[in-house]
Amino acid sequence: MQSWRAAEVVLPATAILAGIECRLPTPQALRLPIGVSRPAVTAVPLFVARPAVERFLFSGQAAAPPPSRPPVRPLTAAPSPAAEASPAAVGPAVRRRTRIAPPRDVVKRSERFFFLLQPDLETILETSRLEFPRQPFPFQFDGMAFLVPRHAAVLADEMGLGKSMQAISSLRLLIRSGEARRVLVVCPKGLVSNWARELADWAPELVVAVIEGDQRRRQWQWSLPDVPVKLANYEVVVRDRDLVAEMGLEFDLVVLDEAQRIKNRDSQTSQSVRALRRGRSWALTGTPVENSADDIVGLFEFVAPGHLNGRMSPRELGAAAADHVLRRTKDKVLKDMPPRLNRDERIELTAEQRETYRQAEEEGVLRLSGLGQQATIQHVFELVLRLKQICNFDTATGESAKLDRLEAELEEIHASGKKSLVFSQWVATLGRLRERLARFGAIEYHGGMSTVARDECLHRFKNDSRHGVLLLSYGAGAVGLNLQFSQYVFLFDRWWNPAVEDQAINRAHRIGAAGAVTVTRYLSVDTIEERIDEVLRSKRDLSDTILSQAEPPASGGLTAEEIFALFRLSPPRRAAA
Amino acid sequence: MVGAMAISTQQHVENAYGFLTTVDSPSHGLFGGYLIVDLEGRPLEFHCTAPVRVSRAQQILYGATLHGHLHGRQIGGTLLAEGSVVPRLVLTDQEPLLQARSHTHLPLALVTASRDQEQAGPTAGAGFSLGGLTVVPHTTDRADETVLREHLEGLIQAVDLNEPFERIRAAIDEAQRH
Repeated sequence: MQSWRAAEVVLPATAILAGIECRLPTPQALRLPIGVSRPAVTAVPLFVARPAVERFLFSGQAAAPPPSRPPVRPLTAAPSPAAEASPAAVGPAVRRRTRIAPPRDVVKRSERFFFLLQPDLETILETSRLEFPRQPFPFQFDGMAFLVPRHAAVLADEMGLGKSMQAISSLRLLIRSGEARRVLVVCPKGLVSNWARELADWAPELVVAVIEGDQRRRQWQWSLPDVPVKLANYEVVVRDRDLVAEMGLEFDLVVLDEAQRIKNRDSQTSQSVRALRRGRSWALTGTPVENSADDIVGLFEFVAPGHLNGRMSPRELGAAAADHVLRRTKDKVLKDMPPRLNRDERIELTAEQRETYRQAEEEGVLRLSGLGQQATIQHVFELVLRLKQICNFDTATGESAKLDRLEAELEEIHASGKKSLVFSQWVATLGRLRERLARFGAIEYHGGMSTVARDECLHRFKNDSRHGVLLLSYGAGAVGLNLQFSQYVFLFDRWWNPAVEDQAINRAHRIGAAGAVTVTRYLSVDTIEERIDEVLRSKRDLSDTILSQAEPPASGGLTAEEIFALFRLSPPRRAAA
Repeated sequence: MVGAMAISTQQHVENAYGFLTTVDSPSHGLFGGYLIVDLEGRPLEFHCTAPVRVSRAQQILYGATLHGHLHGRQIGGTLLAEGSVVPRLVLTDQEPLLQARSHTHLPLALVTASRDQEQAGPTAGAGFSLGGLTVVPHTTDRADETVLREHLEGLIQAVDLNEPFERIRAAIDEAQRH
């Protein structure tokens, strides 16, 4: 018998063959995959949220007086004046939603989802029933959304935009959600009472302990177990560094105000704050780059150790720091902010001042030239300071072209009932100004005064209409104070870098300012002050460069060459190195 | 009875609400996302599917029924069975997902902007207004409309009913990128 496979045989259906056994294979069923298989499902586990913390009690501290806090009030957000003015803004259809986005260093998928799936910040605040004394601005919500998810953050908003308010509101949220139970806020000594007030304003439900007094008292305060926020100044942190370490204290969050204080990583202050055991590190500073790129490297030694280093170019620094730094400037975020009007007043020295100045400069330059290779930057600084003092007051006669101009301008300001701030780098200058400006009720505010005296001074200036002029030193008065009821700022003499001057100006030009703020900077014509002004302009460029991640200009901070060049001198070889 | 099977392993949380949606990615396929939130809109659970791609043969063979089958049974039904927290009800912003109601015991309703609801469609003219939106329960649940409205009136104090869908889309977008 012969067999053929079906493929080899083509038989017409009607043909009948005799004697041939033919077997056709059974046709196979054609199976079409029509079922759509069920997709795999990924369950994403979310964090189990800690219970909300609403009240804090002292426990196990028999000798400790319980801190008195007002009972928690029913909390609702205060209405925004902007919302009242534009009713369309309050409807749900146009309601602003600020999302909390996961930071770039959060890589685990479940953690990224945790942030993405949260309600918007405005909803979180409403449902948490957290009260605000004033409605935050939209950019301040953005600031909170930036801080809350971050373990390492620098809030570098321009002075006057409410960095402390944003930090307080953010730490408040963390405490409410249970993500933080122990927070330490560190600030300059002169701002402790300011911070205590702001915490009472923006987080009234939080118990706050100020670390101060003698060692025994401070030790007890550090040890308080159920106080969510502790407030200390930098000097206390330095002094109690070993004590805090011995006590094994750990903080879920440490916030540094005016964090440029730690830009020098070798300083005791920087080392002491870096020694604090902490989960999150936030730094608040309006001047993350004051003099050189090393400033921000020093800052990051606290915020995110090892993340930046001094070998990086400004562009690399900017790129590496980008996800950790948030900076806004007034012109970008506060379109409705009252304007700041800048006036550079060029003042001709009096004849006597001019002669005194000329002699001092000639003698000083001659002396520097005579020192040759022995000349140091210190010698130059001494000459610069001497000449600047002459620009303020003639050392021989006491004449002052600047003061004559200032007095004339204050006459009109005082008559209109407005208040003015006058800054100088010398306390002695403030004293002389106070004598001459007594009829305007001028009072002084500087670092040589006690904290109580300074608070009293501010209270009088704010509340007593007889005091129309506040005389401040840059050191004490440029940092953190809220003086937004002053509409005139005078820089009697200039500081070494524009950042500190901006801080001074922003005591008045800040959120809450009632009207335009006029800033007058006095510059003595054809003197060292004009030459310094040129250098200050170039330093402002450096700060903008790093923060905008652009390429830098050739020169960075105030180099030795630049300092000597103020007198058209070349630096000695060793000073230039 | 997928829903009944799931109940024994599920937990009851007072005031939980489900939000169900899909995202069609041209490069990956159709994703499904299911978010369960509490009364304050905080997330309790989130589930998302791997992308579903259909072949050309399937498109042809299913024809007009494909859309509903994919959304209703394959994605919607699968997701609603996965949740371990039992919500009071589930909201969706896509009408085809209403077909998931056949595969779950959970009340299901469509959320639309009021102006969209005025247009023609199976849900036209049905439902109730709430918070500037229209909520249209599945026909199975229309008898319980009053109860559903009461549940939702508590939720809308804190949550815009459209907003959780944005979160799901953001999460799915994140899932595609990583």
